[in-house]
Amino acid sequence: MQDRRVARRYAAALFATALRYDVVKSVEEDLAGIVGLLSHDKGFRGFLLSPYVGREEKLKIAEKLFSDRVTALTMQALRLMLEKRREGEVEALREEFVTLRRRHDGVIFATVSSAEALDKDQQKQVVAKVGLITGKAIEPHFLVDPRLIGGVKVAFENIVLDGTLRGSLNLLGDRLRHDVLMQT
Amino acid sequence: MSTERNSGGAAAVVVATVIGIGLMMGGMYVSLNVHLGFVEAMNKSGIPFDPGKTVSMMGVLLILFPVIRIFFIAPLAAAIGGRTSELERTFAEAEELRGEMTKMRSEYEHRLVQTEADARERIQAEIKKAQELGQALRAEAASHADELRRKAEREIEAEKNRVLTELRLHVVNLSLGATEKLLGENMDSATNRKLVQDFVDKAGAAR
Repeated sequence: MQDRRVARRYAAALFATALRYDVVKSVEEDLAGIVGLLSHDKGFRGFLLSPYVGREEKLKIAEKLFSDRVTALTMQALRLMLEKRREGEVEALREEFVTLRRRHDGVIFATVSSAEALDKDQQKQVVAKVGLITGKAIEPHFLVDPRLIGGVKVAFENIVLDGTLRGSLNLLGDRLRHDVLMQT
Repeated sequence: MSTERNSGGAAAVVVATVIGIGLMMGGMYVSLNVHLGFVEAMNKSGIPFDPGKTVSMMGVLLILFPVIRIFFIAPLAAAIGGRTSELERTFAEAEELRGEMTKMRSEYEHRLVQTEADARERIQAEIKKAQELGQALRAEAASHADELRRKAEREIEAEKNRVLTELRLHVVNLSLGATEKLLGENMDSATNRKLVQDFVDKAGAAR
């Protein structure tokens, strides 16, 4: 189980250092690469997170894999986490790092879901609209979900702006069910 | 008193014995030495009679009677007396036993009557208790039956409502499914673009 508080402390230290040396973007990309490898390569994940593999061996493999692919700061952070037996917090570290970077930049992460892929113009319009609503810059993540039938849905922070037919149908269904249950 | 009687008896026996011996001796003497005329006349006429022997015989009898009385009649009388007293004692004991039996019978009958009365009283009490219990059980059963009936009615009503609700919800789901299918079939890129544009135009208006 991941300990968010630990990941948050590591992320805060890493972000502050990255900001000082102006390598925030590089570090974020490094973390995304490491997390992507963890997500897609089960062998590597099993090796890195296994409690039966020794610390030295993990450090050795990590050095071999990442030392010439990531920034020195990222490598240093990874090495520290391995030494402290905190390799299970790498994914949480990445999430917390991104959160800190967005907070620092005044950026809001928004997931934009639509039944069909939006063209560039539509994407810009949606992002601009959300930016207007929130008053902040938007970092969008576009998803295509055919179950939405039509329209678009934007989720950011704890807010959902639902303009899809699926959302309207769900709302209609909820109201009808509510009416039915109220009758009984 | 018995001692006096015995000493009196002994004296009489001694007297009788002395007289008997005297008569026996006298009779023998007369029989051997005295010849009376009328005795000889009677012998001659064919009637044998000897007064001396007769007197002697009387003396023998006088001696014999006490002997018989001492050695035969007295033990027999004593045995008869003992037997009589034994019988009297036995009769007394029997009478006593009969009295006790009568008393016991009386007591037994009294106890029997008392026991019967107690038993009747207990039976009546148990019958009354059983009747009360029966009434209570009948009342409880009736109450339970009423409660079960009410519960069954409630459950039937609830089940009816549940089925109706399920039916209505099923109708709602079917309607939504049909609407979704219709929307999906009629959805095209132009309509989708229009929906996205509507979202861009109207999003956040309610905020």
